[in-house]
Amino acid sequence: MIVAQEKPLAEIRRMIDRYERVLILGCGTCMTVCGAGGEREVSYLHEVLRVAQARGGNGTHTVSEYTVKRQCDPEFLELLVDRVGDVDAVLSLGCGIGVQAIAERFPEIPVLPGVNTSFMGMAKEQGVWDERCAACGDCRLEETAGICPITRCTKGILNGPCAGTKNGKCEANKDMDCAWVLIYQRLERQGQLEKMRRYYPPRNFRTIARPKRIVSKANIDAGGDDA
Amino acid sequence: MYLDMSGNTQSKRVEKSSPDRSLVPPCQAVCPLHMDIREYVDLLAQGRTMEALHVIRNGNPFPAICAYVCTHPCEEACRRGEVDKPIAIRALKRFAVEFGGDRMMQVEARTEHCEKVAIIGSGPAGLACAYYLRKLGYPVTVFEAHSELGGMLRIGIPQYRLPREVLDTEVQRLTQMGVEIRTNTRVVSLELLFDIGYKAIFVTIGAHQSLRMGIEGEESPGVIDGATFLREVNLGLKPSLGERVGVVGGGNVAIDAARTAVRLGARSVNILYRRSRDEMPADSVEIEQAEEEGIEILFLVTPTRVKRENGQLNVTCIKMELGEPDASGRRQPVPIRDSAFSKEFDALITAIGQSPQTPEDFRLRIGRGSIIQVDPITLTTNRTGVFAGGDAVTGPATVTQALATGRLAASRIDDYLQHRYPLASSAERESPIGHLLPETIETIRKIGRLEPPTLAAEARAEDFAPVELAYDWESATNEARRCLRCGIGAEILFQDKCATCLTCIRVCPYHVPYVDASGTIQIPSDQCQACGICVAECPAKAIVLRKPHDRRHITEELDHILRSAAESKSKPVIVGFCCQYGLFGTGTLARFWRGAKAGVWIVPVLCIAKVEANHILRAFEAGAEGVFIAGCGEQCSRENTAYWVRQRVAKVRSTLEQIGLERERVQAFVLGDSSDDLVNELDRFTDQIGALYLTSVILEEVKS
Repeated sequence: MIVAQEKPLAEIRRMIDRYERVLILGCGTCMTVCGAGGEREVSYLHEVLRVAQARGGNGTHTVSEYTVKRQCDPEFLELLVDRVGDVDAVLSLGCGIGVQAIAERFPEIPVLPGVNTSFMGMAKEQGVWDERCAACGDCRLEETAGICPITRCTKGILNGPCAGTKNGKCEANKDMDCAWVLIYQRLERQGQLEKMRRYYPPRNFRTIARPKRIVSKANIDAGGDDA
Repeated sequence: MYLDMSGNTQSKRVEKSSPDRSLVPPCQAVCPLHMDIREYVDLLAQGRTMEALHVIRNGNPFPAICAYVCTHPCEEACRRGEVDKPIAIRALKRFAVEFGGDRMMQVEARTEHCEKVAIIGSGPAGLACAYYLRKLGYPVTVFEAHSELGGMLRIGIPQYRLPREVLDTEVQRLTQMGVEIRTNTRVVSLELLFDIGYKAIFVTIGAHQSLRMGIEGEESPGVIDGATFLREVNLGLKPSLGERVGVVGGGNVAIDAARTAVRLGARSVNILYRRSRDEMPADSVEIEQAEEEGIEILFLVTPTRVKRENGQLNVTCIKMELGEPDASGRRQPVPIRDSAFSKEFDALITAIGQSPQTPEDFRLRIGRGSIIQVDPITLTTNRTGVFAGGDAVTGPATVTQALATGRLAASRIDDYLQHRYPLASSAERESPIGHLLPETIETIRKIGRLEPPTLAAEARAEDFAPVELAYDWESATNEARRCLRCGIGAEILFQDKCATCLTCIRVCPYHVPYVDASGTIQIPSDQCQACGICVAECPAKAIVLRKPHDRRHITEELDHILRSAAESKSKPVIVGFCCQYGLFGTGTLARFWRGAKAGVWIVPVLCIAKVEANHILRAFEAGAEGVFIAGCGEQCSRENTAYWVRQRVAKVRSTLEQIGLERERVQAFVLGDSSDDLVNELDRFTDQIGALYLTSVILEEVKS
């Protein structure tokens, strides 16, 4: 799941400053799950802006709110046509993908990001999320016992641990587990310590072209497939 | 400045589609009158006694009577009993009747139909039928053979259980409604009633004929049957019993007779019951109270012969043991060979059951046990236009059952007179919610039951004063707060909105929500404790409380308070969300409310767990300078409520800072949190807000 965090209020207020009619647009999928941009946060931000206006006195906005099931799919955005027609800007509480999807669908309307999309991760407990995946496109979790050194090691090194590990913790943050110690412990439990002794060459990031695109259907119309 | 209020479309969707989706709680399901017990208990917990009484009166024609004598099947069904002990529902009703102004209540009725209805018998079934028929607009006449109305209520139930003033008040109310009453009138023929213009007749003549024991010497002087004995005492006679009294039987009549004998001056009273304590049909509290009054119960004993010698009764008894269960499910007593012994009494009261005695001339079909046979749905007898109900149909039963039959009879007679097909009531189609799971029970806070006070045992023998006393205000509130509010918990109203984020599962203190095999979140309605935490925490706003009132309550109260505060023009305004349950229950919060200085506006909330961050901000938007939340903490009947309130306060504080307001403007006060007095803390908070307000005013002036 994609995890994000609310932007500071000052930044949001600065962004919307020049627009009179603003639609706060939530997303009903990842942003709801990570608590940054679901319907409750949309309604909270709406209320916050009203308090800010009532107490701060500057700026006049007509704020409306809505939450779509998923901002990153064009079909869902069709539901927004009427609402977006009435506003000067959309403040999206979707992730960076959602913001861009809306920008793409509504070329005339300024779209503002209401959250900072932070990482792909999972919930540790209620209200706490941890990063787990960097979407590098070349998954090595088989070799590292299901623990990703690219996201979970501060240095992202492929041949760890480094000399900065101490009592199983990272030198950069004493509260953070050293990913390579975790990898070692898991491999030891599974009797696969030989994987630790192997050398992993540096990754060639040049082979990973951006932006990436995945096509999972056969190109039948062009006759390029053996179907 | 203009702000669009119509933007919040999705929340509006919730408000608009707010049907009552609450489920029938077990107490209501087993109540013969199907009373909305959960509702009035909740109102009592909020200290809204008059409204509670209104709810009670809606479902019960004579609540004052039930408050004294109801056998409260609701308490047996109460799910609180699965956790610790059931809610003392009847005692709470008594409190509502005593303190809710029942005496002031007026019931009005207008005549809207011309068909006259005759009711034969003025017991609870007859009176209830008269009440409801009169409310429906029929001219009603009640015929009573005795000199006063009430049937068994007057001549069966002893005064220490039901004071006569209570009965008189209810009868008085019927007269006010325009019910015609003919006492000292024994009806001998139904034809006569039809001849003089009655279109329908309700026969509710009760079961006054005591069953005979069928033993030798039963006719001896000094042996009296329970019904006759109680009738004589209740009609003001004072039968002389002598010093030693024996009572045969184990039902409520036997206990009533024994306790009445104590009050008439008997020195020793023995109850002879042929089974053991577990099988005794009398109310357990009554049995306890009887024993407190010095009555001795001889279990597994039955009399076999009575002999009168020298003005004394020599009763031969035999001991019994319990054998196989019989048709009633109770274990059958079997005599033990050669166990006979004898006991000396001055009087022997037999109370082993009663049956109806219907006059032959009524020409009604009579079934086993001399009861009148009726259709159970329509209450019609074999004669057109003649309906029957009460003990005469069921055999001896409870007052509440009789009231329910009376109400049913009224609607059936109405159907008959208006030529309508009788429809089953909606209550019969509902199914009550299930039992609590052991896991849920474990997590529910145990709170002991508060019994209402009773008259000291020594003081009782002197006269017929009521034994049970009413609760005081605080005890009643605290007892009512124990209610688990079954069936009005949270539900996912919009499954399409639910993002399956699992927040509800993670925040529920009772571990109620779960993910089913298809990956959908379920919140089982029979386990939910209606604390409201998941409703406020759901990031998709997909969860609502089943009762529409619970969904709107805080917003409505807050709007009301904010309007009043704006009109008052006094500054600075401080808004406090305070637990309404704690106001009367904890004592401390009451002082907190009363001790609040001018400018503090209290929004009563039904548990602070339902106060959302948005509510706090709303107050600031409307011009409040400070907001606080005050809850019951350790005295709350739910779990973790204070924790989640603090989370929300922390969130709002960080927001306020970003807006440029001081974080100290929001504060949570929780009972048991601080060693200092909460009232002092509130004073400090008020002073602090006052100071912040002054500073901001001065800064404004400097700027301009």
